[in-house]
Amino acid sequence: MPLIDRVTRQREWGVGTLLILTLIVVGAVNPAFLSVGNLRDMLVQDVPTVIVACGLTFVIVLGEIDISVGALMGLLATVMGLLTSPSRVHWPVAAGVGVTLLLGAAVGLVNGLLVTGGRMPSIIVTLGMMTVLQGVNQLLLNGQWITDLPPGLRFFGLGTLLGMPVSVWAALIVVLLSVLLAQGTPLGRRLYAAGSNPDAARLAGLPVHGLKLFAFTLTGLLTAVATVVSVPRLSVIESGVGQGFELLVVTCVVVGGTSISGGQGTILGSVVAALLLGLVRPMLIFLRLGVSATYWERAIQGAFILAAVLADHLARRRPRLGART
Amino acid sequence: MTFRALPGRQEIVLLLLLIGVLLLAGRLSPDFLSARAQNELSTHVWELALLALPMTLIILTAGIDLSVGSTMALCAVAFGLYFRAGWPIPVDAGLALLVGAAAGALNGVFVAYVRVHPLIVTLATLAAYRGVAEGVSLGRPFSGFPPGFAVLGQGSLAGLPIPGLIFLAALLVTALLLAFTPLGLWLSAIGYNETAARYSGLAVSRLKFGLYTASGLAAGLAALLFVARRNTAKADIGTGMELDVITAVVLGGTSIFGGRGGLLGTVLGVLLIHETREFVSWQWSRDELNLIVVGALLILSVLADSLLSPRRRQ
Amino acid sequence: MSPPFVQITGLSKAYGGVQALADVSLTVETGEVHALVGENGAGKSTLIKCLSGVVRPDAGTVAVDGAPLPPGGIRAAEGAGIIALHQESTAFPHLGAADNIFVGREPRRFGGLLDGPRMAQEAQALMERLGERIDLHRRLEELSPAQRQMVGIARALSRRSRLLIMDEPTASLSARETQTLFRIIRQLQAEGVSILYISHRLEEVFALAGRVTVLRDGRLVGTRPIGEVSRDELVRMMVGRDLQAFEREVGAAGETLLDVRGLTRAGEFQDISFALRAGEIVGLAGLVGAGRSEVARAIFGVEPPASGAVTVAGAPLPPGSVRAAVARGVALVPEDRQHQGLVLPLPVGVNLLLVVLGTLSLGGFRSARKEKTTVAGLMQELSVRAAGPSVPAGTLSGGNQQKLALGKWLAASPRVLLLDEPTRGVDVGAKAEVYRLIRQLARGGMATLVISSDLPEILALSDRILVMREGRLAGELSREEATEERILALALPAAGEP
Repeated sequence: MPLIDRVTRQREWGVGTLLILTLIVVGAVNPAFLSVGNLRDMLVQDVPTVIVACGLTFVIVLGEIDISVGALMGLLATVMGLLTSPSRVHWPVAAGVGVTLLLGAAVGLVNGLLVTGGRMPSIIVTLGMMTVLQGVNQLLLNGQWITDLPPGLRFFGLGTLLGMPVSVWAALIVVLLSVLLAQGTPLGRRLYAAGSNPDAARLAGLPVHGLKLFAFTLTGLLTAVATVVSVPRLSVIESGVGQGFELLVVTCVVVGGTSISGGQGTILGSVVAALLLGLVRPMLIFLRLGVSATYWERAIQGAFILAAVLADHLARRRPRLGART
Repeated sequence: MTFRALPGRQEIVLLLLLIGVLLLAGRLSPDFLSARAQNELSTHVWELALLALPMTLIILTAGIDLSVGSTMALCAVAFGLYFRAGWPIPVDAGLALLVGAAAGALNGVFVAYVRVHPLIVTLATLAAYRGVAEGVSLGRPFSGFPPGFAVLGQGSLAGLPIPGLIFLAALLVTALLLAFTPLGLWLSAIGYNETAARYSGLAVSRLKFGLYTASGLAAGLAALLFVARRNTAKADIGTGMELDVITAVVLGGTSIFGGRGGLLGTVLGVLLIHETREFVSWQWSRDELNLIVVGALLILSVLADSLLSPRRRQ
Repeated sequence: MSPPFVQITGLSKAYGGVQALADVSLTVETGEVHALVGENGAGKSTLIKCLSGVVRPDAGTVAVDGAPLPPGGIRAAEGAGIIALHQESTAFPHLGAADNIFVGREPRRFGGLLDGPRMAQEAQALMERLGERIDLHRRLEELSPAQRQMVGIARALSRRSRLLIMDEPTASLSARETQTLFRIIRQLQAEGVSILYISHRLEEVFALAGRVTVLRDGRLVGTRPIGEVSRDELVRMMVGRDLQAFEREVGAAGETLLDVRGLTRAGEFQDISFALRAGEIVGLAGLVGAGRSEVARAIFGVEPPASGAVTVAGAPLPPGSVRAAVARGVALVPEDRQHQGLVLPLPVGVNLLLVVLGTLSLGGFRSARKEKTTVAGLMQELSVRAAGPSVPAGTLSGGNQQKLALGKWLAASPRVLLLDEPTRGVDVGAKAEVYRLIRQLARGGMATLVISSDLPEILALSDRILVMREGRLAGELSREEATEERILALALPAAGEP
């Protein structure tokens, strides 16, 4: 396929091109943007988004959605903090991390059960779950902050391994495993099949409910992983952690080419979109547009979704290859 | 044939729940039920109630509007901006309402004419509108509104709070529209079977566009009430509002799948959420419990609806 | 004597009071191409569904190599080697060819991982066996209908199917692609695979089949070796029944109320022109897929045609707008009354008034009295059997639902009535009432178009009959000259047509 066709037709390429263009343009205006230090910082900032976007891609490919990931991250951060902080429960870091991972998976599982067994729309399930998690989080925090995280935990967020931050390693591993799952396992192909034509999937004997349960549980687990490798970077855990995160992740997945109606979308697309969206805030800063410019970050996020949606609409209206005229 | 004017099973259950909550509250703390306390606690419920009206109609058509909270913020910021620019209050208010209607209309265009799923559209505008509010206001509040304006949010007429009267007027208009014009049946038909509605010559796109525009307008009005009440306009108001509104509507018996529902249920739903929340705050001073209760209520009510009705999700 | 490969005995299936299949028996031998022909509604689709496991028959058995098919739906049938090539319902449009072929039985390696290369290799091998090359990376929805069909065949082969059921396989194929398909069928035949070939294209039947079975009204008419039957005989077997005489007063046809010129939509219909006069009932006959419903929907404004013009009572009708069509007095009673014609959860009365709620109201306000009287009047006129106007429409029987779907337009006083399969799934008694209604409306000046696959019905109702064939108007028959054979002759693709 000629390059120009690729860029306009395959979303990953389009978004990737936009990513590179932005890097070039902003780097031209302000070379500090492309410094190793800044690039690394931006990459580290993107880690939680990338990790959760992998799970959420599977959920949306299946035709569902999960907007509770932000609130879940907040709660998991609190739980992790409370369990490991020397001034609180003071468990060993491994135990605290383990509980966090289990809890994340458990919440994801509950979401999945309500959607499959309860036959409820996932938007409602995860909307309600989001609130419940927010409430539980605030209850646990009791208006206080957690500021003393043990060094063992801080390693996850701030440490480096072979020159690259641990968190980036984690994201890399998650992405690789997700791509492997999507392209290289029967499970992955069945996920896409179930999203593409759920009735045909059922007729072919695929366990559509089981696949959805898997996707939701995985998303919960990945949210926990993202929490473990990103929250310890913060100097304080308070009730605002994770707020707005779900919107960012959904935006990445949708902009990255995953259709809300299911059946298509790639991990790579979501990852590239995450990197692109992660550029918005630094771009506003480095372009020296003034402090006020950073307030437009969320507006730009919203604009991205609308643009992605319009692009999908226009693409659909063009005659498809191979269709008989 | 009138449209769900008579209470059905859901409304009766709600009413019983409401009475139950009030009785329990009365036992544990009689002061809660006093007129003074109720009046004080109710200052902010009118915005929620106002937004719940168009949301009921939207959900009736199997749609959804997640952007109402953000639209509120946008309108509030617009209002503050125009005020600071020196324009008289009525003009500012009018423009703020216009902004709300325009925001809703944008949603409407995407949902009704571009035919994108309302979930995605309003998720995008949820971000976009709040983002614009934040960007334009730089996160800083507007204040210093004249006391005359504050009357809108804090004053009362014949013992009833003005926002309450505004809501009642809106409720009356909506109820009359539903009861005496074909609107209710049209929306119900669209929610149950949009294809058949189109094949019957119904102006589906026009109706949907109108609903989302009305929702934006209501958000504008709610924003004005808020600003009048708190004397401040900031880009973070209305955060999480959409959840409360949707919960109230769904709790009130309007099916999230569309086709079935009514205003009476929504009103009861709003009351139930409000009284439960206020009582929890009053008795235990813990706002967090509110969140848990509301979230749990939403899930349980939809779960019950889903399990009890044999309808297949599309 | 060894049992035949597939033996079907006494198969029967009824859908809600309508007997779709009654006591049908036939056999298929190994390596045979067995053709199945019959008009629309003869029972062919039902037979396919019973064979492939999609539905369970009410009576009768299907035996493979002497052993009856175990229960278990499609998987059991596939396990026994019977696979039907349904295009849309079992395909995954967003996935590639290899995925579509192997989903659910993917080849693995290293204990659990997908063996992508082997999957691609086997997919490619299957396609080559069929003599086709396909870009495995393309999504299924991006492939041509012919290629998608190849993928379906490849999928069947990968499951070691021994009986392939093909339903109108050449419908979307070009002449060359059809030849390719024939070559593949003969090749499969040589390999011992049997084919049940359902088609209206009789010359294909004569080219491929060893034997042909004719169904009519759900019953078996007969099975003949292909060498012992002629085309005319076949048509007669498909059609032959006693025509019931229906009385019809031919009233004077009035002014032209609907004028259609050059209506075209690529791939569906081409250059359709006809006119309807007041008081006329015009039948539109043709096989399934000929494009009749699409034409009706295009006139009604559901989707605009690519070109062409429609005039109602002399005034041009803006295309693509149902509201405009309704406002000008055009009504459509669609084929699918459950999903397009009625809102089943809503009450009978609301369904009846749905079109006219706006016009019945004064200054925007509904009039309970007017509504009640209109509903009561309609229900009586239609003799709708229901507990009352407040029960949900979904609780009514098929026949009564159809009356609702038709009756809802009466309140709107349309001038042009388009009926698409007005008595599908309707019992005999309700059928008669629907006919009575249609004639009554015509007497009152309604210009009516009746699309029907029921030839006796069309013959009984119509003043003249238009026949569509593969998207075009093949011909017109007046009431006097119309017979079932003549209609079918026009409707069937002629020999040598692409």
